[in-house]
Amino acid sequence: MATQAQAAAPGGLKQHFSNWRLALVIAIVAIPGSVFLFPLETAFWVSFGAVILVTATVVTRAWGRRPGPLLVAPALATLLVMNIFPLLWSLGLSFFHFRANRLSPPRFAGLNYFEKVISDPNVWDRLQTTAIVVVLTVGIQLIVGFLLALMFEREFPGRRILLMLVLTPMMLSFVAVGAFFRYYYEPTFGLLSQAVRLVTGEPYILLASPEGAIAGIVFADAWMWSPFVMLLVLAGLVSVPKYLYEAAEIDRASWWRRFRTITLPYIRGLLLLALLFRTIEAFKLFDVVFLITEGGPGTSTETIAVYLYRVSFQYFKTAESSALAYILIFIVIVLTNLYLYFVQQREKEEEAPA
Amino acid sequence: MRRQIGRAGWGWTGFSAVVSFIYFFPVLWIVLTAFKAHTDALAIPPKWIFTPTLENFVSVFARAYIKGQTAVDTNFDVYFFNSIFIAGSSVLIALIIGTLAAYGFSRYPLKGNNTYLFIILTTRMLPPIVVIIPIFLMFRVSGLSGTYLGVILLYTAFNLPFTIWMMKSFFDELSPEVEDAARLDGSNGYRVFFRVCMPQVKAGLAATAVFGLILTWNEFLFALLLTGVETRTVPVAMAQTIGGDIGVRWGLLAAIETLFLIPVVVVVYVLQNHLLRGVTFGTIRR
Amino acid sequence: MKTLKTFVGALASAALLGSALAVQPATAKDIVLRMAVPDWPPTRTMKDLADKHYKAPSGNNVVLEPDFIPWPDYYTRLAASLTSGEQKYQMAVSDSQWLGANIEGGYYMKLNDFIDADPELQAVFKDLHPTLVSAYSTYPHIGAAELAEVGFPHPDADYYGFPQMPDVIITYYRTDVFCDEGERAAFNEKYGKMLPCTPEEMNDVDWDLVANIGEFFGRKAGETLAGETLDDDFYGIAYQAGKAYDFSSMEINGFIWQHGGSIWDETNAPEGQAEGVVNSPESVKGFEHYLSMLKYMPPVVQTGTMDVFKVDELFREGKVAWILQWIGFGESAISADTSKVHDRVGFAMHPGLRMPDGTINRTANIGGQPFVLTTWNSDEVIREAIDFVKWWLSSEVQTMFAQGGGQSGLQSVHFSDDYASYRPWNHAFGPSLEWQRDVWHIPEFFELLVQQQEEFDKAITGQKSAKDAMDAIAAFQQELLTEAGHIE
Repeated sequence: MATQAQAAAPGGLKQHFSNWRLALVIAIVAIPGSVFLFPLETAFWVSFGAVILVTATVVTRAWGRRPGPLLVAPALATLLVMNIFPLLWSLGLSFFHFRANRLSPPRFAGLNYFEKVISDPNVWDRLQTTAIVVVLTVGIQLIVGFLLALMFEREFPGRRILLMLVLTPMMLSFVAVGAFFRYYYEPTFGLLSQAVRLVTGEPYILLASPEGAIAGIVFADAWMWSPFVMLLVLAGLVSVPKYLYEAAEIDRASWWRRFRTITLPYIRGLLLLALLFRTIEAFKLFDVVFLITEGGPGTSTETIAVYLYRVSFQYFKTAESSALAYILIFIVIVLTNLYLYFVQQREKEEEAPA
Repeated sequence: MRRQIGRAGWGWTGFSAVVSFIYFFPVLWIVLTAFKAHTDALAIPPKWIFTPTLENFVSVFARAYIKGQTAVDTNFDVYFFNSIFIAGSSVLIALIIGTLAAYGFSRYPLKGNNTYLFIILTTRMLPPIVVIIPIFLMFRVSGLSGTYLGVILLYTAFNLPFTIWMMKSFFDELSPEVEDAARLDGSNGYRVFFRVCMPQVKAGLAATAVFGLILTWNEFLFALLLTGVETRTVPVAMAQTIGGDIGVRWGLLAAIETLFLIPVVVVVYVLQNHLLRGVTFGTIRR
Repeated sequence: MKTLKTFVGALASAALLGSALAVQPATAKDIVLRMAVPDWPPTRTMKDLADKHYKAPSGNNVVLEPDFIPWPDYYTRLAASLTSGEQKYQMAVSDSQWLGANIEGGYYMKLNDFIDADPELQAVFKDLHPTLVSAYSTYPHIGAAELAEVGFPHPDADYYGFPQMPDVIITYYRTDVFCDEGERAAFNEKYGKMLPCTPEEMNDVDWDLVANIGEFFGRKAGETLAGETLDDDFYGIAYQAGKAYDFSSMEINGFIWQHGGSIWDETNAPEGQAEGVVNSPESVKGFEHYLSMLKYMPPVVQTGTMDVFKVDELFREGKVAWILQWIGFGESAISADTSKVHDRVGFAMHPGLRMPDGTINRTANIGGQPFVLTTWNSDEVIREAIDFVKWWLSSEVQTMFAQGGGQSGLQSVHFSDDYASYRPWNHAFGPSLEWQRDVWHIPEFFELLVQQQEEFDKAITGQKSAKDAMDAIAAFQQELLTEAGHIE
């Protein structure tokens, strides 16, 4: 396979067999080039060859001399082939008129699809819905997770078992969570409605309004993932040195004061991390929405991930979905950067007192 | 004697038990439903006391699809095997190459080490649907569609970033003195890695494996679109209980979920102490 | 370390086992017809009949191997498999609306040459109800009326599918409440009309009477129904009004056609417009009529999640007196282990709009699925697949299928005297076929469907008026269809 990529490269390759920079340049030229020039099958194997070439040069160069590149090469190669390379490919596709379920060959479209996606009111509407859901679900997760962590902070009989009960929601599969929460919210049979009826005598129809539907989805998602926040906060709480509490007890400081001056500083960083981590995860929200409301009523709970699913796997507008995916990738990169920034800040804070 | 800080008595246990059971209630209801006959599942008012039946659990593996016919194999044994085989092998492969990479990133930083790590983390944080489109196309032209190899490779890549980040955080915590001492004694790099480092991060390996398993175990979207006839996993097959001739087969869905939950709960309970590190993908150290 | 070795060993043997499972026996005489099918009784019955009775006329050892895929994921999964190029399926049971997309993708095989060369297949097509040939086989779509007029073979028709399970929407009702003397008297007193009880009476029901039924049987917990005190709310009627897939369009289209309106008609392309047709006053009136009866239904209708499965569940749990449902769901309604009302269910035709001349217009949207062959089969496999289809569509097998709870598209079978005696709902099937029409088959159908379902859902959940929803649908379709070249 590599021969095809080598053929596309300038001569004198053999002398530079361990020159990974050259190989990288070849790959960067060959991959988009082959996507533009060749049919899909050929493009795949040319690009695949280029990736192998880069990995091979890195390994050859590092063999017996520097263990660093040697150790990371297999992992990076796997990620290149299975993640990064497909992403580059879809970037290429987003510049073409192309549908995966049509016979017609790709035609160049330029920035057409990016313009289309950016100017599509549906996209902005779904992003707005996603933002609302993310803010609510992450907010609730932080509060509930925090309170649960306060509960489990202490050592008490049966803690391990009870902690397990609270952690179970995280381990459920989405199909079961989706189907059963839809049932819990159902006005005739659902447990929620049954409980409300005991008081009011009327069935309770949660999902009838956009607000109710969002509340239903947020509740299910927050229920599933609050334990995650709990674990993070618990990690912070456990790390608070006990002598600080002992000192506070001798001073007879109030609970609130103790909490504000001792506990909070230790968990502030972790709370921020939980916030960012859950934000990034909630951004992917798909299965629960799809199974509980299918995005309804109307489109009021359709998140961007659901919309992307429709465009790519129901409408098979492959090029348009690739362009949309790239806009999402941009957002995710920004969020990831923020996340890592806070992680590094926290590490610095930790190192400072030591 | 003064009360020990952070200790609480049975009173706190009682309070926590109430809260935990309320929190656990939706899961409890699923488990209860698994033991109910079909006509009890949606009873009004909801049934708390009922005659438990194991019928649903039997139906997971063999049931009559046509009224009046004898029960036939549902293939769920194959789906459970697929789930175990695919999750197991991909986690194992990810663990091997991910640990090597983590050790590399931790001990022999490359130029732009953080950039590599950042890119690796980014690939994990993308919505799955974003990655599916191109992988789907790649599978289509490379002939990997519907094969074990394709699915396992996919989940390996899915698990790698998390494995690398987590294992790196464990390696970073090891004190370098022990390794340096071993080197001075004349051990080569391989010996240091296998004899000195690996024993110290056993717990980390276990925790990483568990979290990889949970994530791969319940993964739905990749499995739905990229597993073929022979490679289908349980979460995809589970959907057959939520539509067909009859809508949701509540008892059956609950029974599958219950069976599906047991292995993860057991593994997580055993490895609870390593959990704190696991959920944050190794970005946070204690 | 020892445990690790054991684990690795176990994994390796598992890997071997896995690859052994994946290997297909490949002798010349063993032929596997792998077919993608939705997981429900008609396909399970087909598998059962094939295992018990099918002997390939060629003498080959042919095994039908259906891949049962859950309905909720069926389209996604089939489309993913076809477009991924894995070429796993030799045949598929496809919803009729998917024909266009998958034919344009080059996945479904054109059957004209085989039909032309085979008098037996021609005889089958002549016996099939033209409605079914129109909906399940022709692409580009040709209306049933035209097919009936021209006869078989239609010179311009391209044929792609054979009916596997023809499905129509019919009435399911609770005989215990409809035939209760007290209720009948009360109904007569309140509305001056007779409460239908027998299937014949139920066949004469129009929408006005349906509305009366809906209002009449809406009871609160504590009130009495057919002499018994209710411990939970009870509702008069239910039909599909869900956002997912086509779970409202299939009923709404019927209302639109009955009121003289139209959906965008692909047989009129490229002259036929969407704007002004889809949102014509008649269409809007039809939709408003549909919406007007939602208030008699169980409260879940307000959430836009009342899909066909929820309608089915409400009926089986005994919460509603009268529903409209696909005929294919009949079995679970009369089975004791799934239905609380299994011993008191009656069946009748789909109701409709009373015309000035007193007849009922019961135009409705056809359901059901055709078989198709995929394009990557060897000649040998194609021959076996065609032989299998011929076996399936023989009157003997179709009769067994109908006895097992399926339906037959062959007129010689479903108009036979015994047909109605096989299953309690069968009498409603044959006459219903006259009234069936189908939704679009063009490749862009899913985009049309999703947007339409969203707008319908907004009206169903009260966020929009019927007129606004229909205007939005028409505008969207006009733009999309023009862009795709279906409207000029």
